[in-house]
Amino acid sequence: MSDPDAGAAVLLRAEQVSKLYRDGRVEALVDVSLEIPRGQYVAIMGPSGSGKSTLLNMLGALDRPTRGEVYFEGRALGSMKSLDGYRAEKLGFVFQSFCLLPTLSASQNVQIPMFETRLTAVQRTAKAAELLELVGMGHRAGHVPGELSVGERQRVAIARALANDPLLLLADEPTGNLDSKTAAGIFDLFERLHRERRMTIVLVTHDPGLAGRAERIVRMQDGRIVTASG
Amino acid sequence: MRFATLVFTNIRRRPTRSALTVSGVAIAVTAVVALVGIARSFEKTLLAIYESRGVDLVVVRAGGVQRLGSVLDETLGERIRRLPGVHKVSPALAEVVSFEKLDIFGVLVRGLPLESFILDDIRIVAGRRLQPGDTRAVMLGTVIAKNLETGVGRQVEVVAGKPCEVVGIFESHNLFENGSMIMPLEELQKLMDRKGEITALMVIADRKDRESLDALRDKITSLTPCIEVLLAREYIETAIEVRLARAIAWLTSTIALMVGTIGMINTMLTAVFERTRELAILRAIGWRKSRIVKLILSESIILGLAGAVVGTILAIVITQVLSRLPAAGRMVSGEISPQVILQGFAIATLVGLVGGLFPAFRAARLVPTEGLRHE
Repeated sequence: MSDPDAGAAVLLRAEQVSKLYRDGRVEALVDVSLEIPRGQYVAIMGPSGSGKSTLLNMLGALDRPTRGEVYFEGRALGSMKSLDGYRAEKLGFVFQSFCLLPTLSASQNVQIPMFETRLTAVQRTAKAAELLELVGMGHRAGHVPGELSVGERQRVAIARALANDPLLLLADEPTGNLDSKTAAGIFDLFERLHRERRMTIVLVTHDPGLAGRAERIVRMQDGRIVTASG
Repeated sequence: MRFATLVFTNIRRRPTRSALTVSGVAIAVTAVVALVGIARSFEKTLLAIYESRGVDLVVVRAGGVQRLGSVLDETLGERIRRLPGVHKVSPALAEVVSFEKLDIFGVLVRGLPLESFILDDIRIVAGRRLQPGDTRAVMLGTVIAKNLETGVGRQVEVVAGKPCEVVGIFESHNLFENGSMIMPLEELQKLMDRKGEITALMVIADRKDRESLDALRDKITSLTPCIEVLLAREYIETAIEVRLARAIAWLTSTIALMVGTIGMINTMLTAVFERTRELAILRAIGWRKSRIVKLILSESIILGLAGAVVGTILAIVITQVLSRLPAAGRMVSGEISPQVILQGFAIATLVGLVGGLFPAFRAARLVPTEGLRHE
């Protein structure tokens, strides 16, 4: 087989990835293979326990597969010196529960990933302001998460995910804790990032209406991919 | 935002616990700085009695670690004086007396010949010097005179039932001496029923280089068996009194340090447990393990340093107060050397480091996904 990632049109590729828990008695993922081209906007759908979050964790190097491998720009994650570095430089994460640090202001939260870069304190502050402006939160930069609405918190979390100019944005049920109107606002934001910044976005959701706005839908069931459109 | 901002934010979010931890470290640092400082200054003051007069060698009975328990024959002094290379020799009989009614214990009384060079650089502030023909006469240092609330012309019972007349009050630049008494050698020998006995001989050599001193040392040692010739510094450093003071100071400090360290570990472990989710988030968004370790260690070291600042201030206050108390003022100078303070800071940093290490590595071991589940 010739290198399928040649020219790096494929940003991310999962190859026969399996994840077993409890000494192999629970199969969270079974032989999942998936290619995500650069710049694609992908929604992963499926019922609870279908393995979609587990797959996202494998793609984001938050967890390692029991079998198989994930390749980023053709490089096996298992061969990378530092998965922390991969997460810090190449990825942006958005979680269902926002995962902001409660004692830090919006601006400070956005700056957290920047400690892994060479930016100075002044540059960090300036960049955070820029990103908060981008997600429409410029006016709330000094507020701690407790003073923000849930929708605002998720916007701050998205700004944080963009802190190190990642190539890939991974989002796990980013609107799971939001009402539909707020959720729509967040999806508008994802769409904008995809359109304006040509960002590759992989998001897990079980809202079919929202998933429909992605370029491609990957459906999962019982740890397997059942259909992959696009 | 700076990294330090993050560190301070984390310390400030648990003010009570941070304050308690700082107190724990502060107590340990106080113990180190005050106790070790006092032991040091005690040692320094003792040594100064000899060094300020250029005493090179001290002759004592061999094998005795308790300096005041040494007994020598006073005729040895004359034999040493005749040795070549000896500039001056002074015998001294040292006794320790107490004035129980006044709650004053452990006062040094020295019996010295009137021509002793030790008497050369004490200054009389009231009354007169000891004179030939003085019987039952005593000179008091300024501090002990004040503590005994007595003065020239009054009687002092150096030994119960045997009053001696205070003929003069003297001041030495040595704090320890100001808390002591001086009597004519013969008078003290009579008073204590120790005729012909002395405690030690202090020798000033003509030449003070190491070789000459070693040669002189050998010559003195060969004069008579059972004597020991020590350099002034050795004499002080090996004294059981000094060693005990040092040992007690370090022992107390070590215990305090252990308690401080355990307090630190406890605080930092709790902090890590409470922040499991946050730390996992940091890992998930790409913070390296080393940065997590750095964060936790920075927090614990800052707490340690805060403890050092508070502890040093406390120690300075305590030694100042002690030096003004009549009971302790005779030995505590109230001075704390920068070296001891530096030691306190070094130890506090160590407490922070050691106390933070285990929690920091625990924090770094967190698996990102574990923490994200920890809602």
